[in-house]
Amino acid sequence: MDDFPIDKIQISGASLASLLHRASSAVGDSHGYLFGHAAVSTSNPLSDHPTSAAPTSLLITTITSFLSLPSHLPLPPPPPSSSTCLLGWFSARRKTPLRPSLKDSAASLSLSSSPLLAITPQNSSLSLSPSIFLLITTPFHDQLIHTHEYKAFQFRGGSFDPKSLSIVNIGPSFRSQYDSFSPNLQLPMMNSDLRGPNAMVEDEIDESLAGKRDQLRNQKQLDLCAEGFEIGRVSKLMSSEAAYTAEMEDLYDKMLAKIDTLSKLVEHSNAKVLDQENRNMRLRSRVAGLE
Amino acid sequence: MAIDTVPPLISAQINYLIGHCPFSVKVEQMWSGCKNPNLLDRFTLVIPYCLDHVKWDVIFNAMYPLAAPDVIFGPEDEGFQPYASGTGQPSKNSLANWNSRDPSRLYSLIVELRDAYMAFQRRRISEIDDERVKFEFSTMISREGIEMYMSLGTDKPEEVKFAVPLLDIDLNKLVAGCTWRHPQKVYLQVIFPVGKKYSSVPPPPRLKLISSPELKALLSTEDFKLPTWVDGMCTAEYLPNLEQMLNTQIKDAVSSIEIRRKFIQSLAPHLGRPIEADPVFCRRATFLCSSGLFTFQVHCALSLQFPKQQPALVLQSSQHFNAHGAPVKSPTLSEYPWSPRWNSSEKADRIFDFLADEALNFKKNCNQLNQQ
Repeated sequence: MDDFPIDKIQISGASLASLLHRASSAVGDSHGYLFGHAAVSTSNPLSDHPTSAAPTSLLITTITSFLSLPSHLPLPPPPPSSSTCLLGWFSARRKTPLRPSLKDSAASLSLSSSPLLAITPQNSSLSLSPSIFLLITTPFHDQLIHTHEYKAFQFRGGSFDPKSLSIVNIGPSFRSQYDSFSPNLQLPMMNSDLRGPNAMVEDEIDESLAGKRDQLRNQKQLDLCAEGFEIGRVSKLMSSEAAYTAEMEDLYDKMLAKIDTLSKLVEHSNAKVLDQENRNMRLRSRVAGLE
Repeated sequence: MAIDTVPPLISAQINYLIGHCPFSVKVEQMWSGCKNPNLLDRFTLVIPYCLDHVKWDVIFNAMYPLAAPDVIFGPEDEGFQPYASGTGQPSKNSLANWNSRDPSRLYSLIVELRDAYMAFQRRRISEIDDERVKFEFSTMISREGIEMYMSLGTDKPEEVKFAVPLLDIDLNKLVAGCTWRHPQKVYLQVIFPVGKKYSSVPPPPRLKLISSPELKALLSTEDFKLPTWVDGMCTAEYLPNLEQMLNTQIKDAVSSIEIRRKFIQSLAPHLGRPIEADPVFCRRATFLCSSGLFTFQVHCALSLQFPKQQPALVLQSSQHFNAHGAPVKSPTLSEYPWSPRWNSSEKADRIFDFLADEALNFKKNCNQLNQQ
């Protein structure tokens, strides 16, 4: 399948930084998927020049997030295009030439030739397959400042077409970005019903017991999250100024305590993950005969 | 852990590859790509192709040595995607179902990739829009073992190179007792420029006779005078004459081994049995001699032009050493009375006479050196 040439590949500074950090902190090589969105934007050259050309349309892709895993594990089956917007994939391998490898070309080919994964950029009727390939390497000799190299390609017609990667940051020079902005925050799906007098009683009758139990568990979880922050407390804010301050301070303290517990939890689980990683590493070394 | 370790699974693959490969493959450098810089898991393979080399980087993963390797090809070969058949079907190849416990896997992968590379170059050359190259390609493609290469440089002109194996005989069997591991061949290298327009007759291609490196002990292709290329000729026409000439040359080269052997044997009555000699090609022999109390070795090197060219002699003292502890040697002596028309015993007589005089000079020099 021959794709249209992508005119611009953009990535936010934060995403690129996080990608590079993931690559450099990994024990070995890593690879993964790149997600984001694509849009056709009609640039309108605001020019006083009388002969300025007609507005040209540009196919712009923006990488917003990624999924990475060690490269000895195969990439999971890509998610269907309806739920997320898969733009392509990346491969991060240390101290290698900045050229696509045997594996890179095979993986890019299979990814871009799958019609189920094609996406439709905004404002257009084109079909774009996940053909972006981002290659991340490190220089052959360790250097203090120059620590990473990367190159973006579009896999088109069986070959890698090098593309420049523009980094998006915040500031006036990135104003044109807002044209193609699309919020893509995904809230977790939780069927929390409003338990109250106006809940539809008839529906509940139809629901099976298992469904009810499920709902109950979700509700409990939701209640746990909102513990100490009941809706009733909002009314207390309204009574008097003194009560308002006291209530506010109380809420704030509770929030701090919650964050504190949360960060402790994260710390503990991270320590456990690290412990397991080390154990895995020792097992791997034993399997590889390195001990 | 020792410094610079190659994980055993990876080193087993490399050793098998080097030990069993039908062409002489070399590991140029090894380096590490993981957090522990002492674990070497990537290396460059130098693979002979079309009388030159291609360099491929093989990327293993020391952290997960059970995983299959990845290969990065040269910068000129970005279009080379052997396992991207374009049909969408995963092609059967050596990387599929990689088993790190089987040390022959890397070997089969490299052999398979080299074959694919050969097919890739052929396809690339068959697509060139150049009448002459098209014709040469169609007449030469059927020759067994032919390799071709197209150089695409931005700074150099586009050229097509053919490496044509000559003479369908097994050279390894010609020389008794030779220890060549790889099959030896003589190739004609033919280089055609691409896409040039000529007003009249195209100029002859660049021709060069090249032998596999180990064959140099028997035959010198540099001294071989190539037949002239007649205007308007093609390579297929040029080859029969060349092969005939080469065949005679090789027969001469094989029979010259016997001449050299006889000569070394004829030296024995004068100088004693050689303490060391090359028994296969008879290109060199070392004798232990003495002149009075002074003992020294005579290194005798016979060129391929022997007996036209006289043997080069080097004397080495067994009693004098220089400041670095190495034995004192004379410069190479190749100017002494000699005639190719003398019979072997006379040649030996004359050398003995010359050595008897030269030994005294050499002894004097050695003594002077030691006194300084």
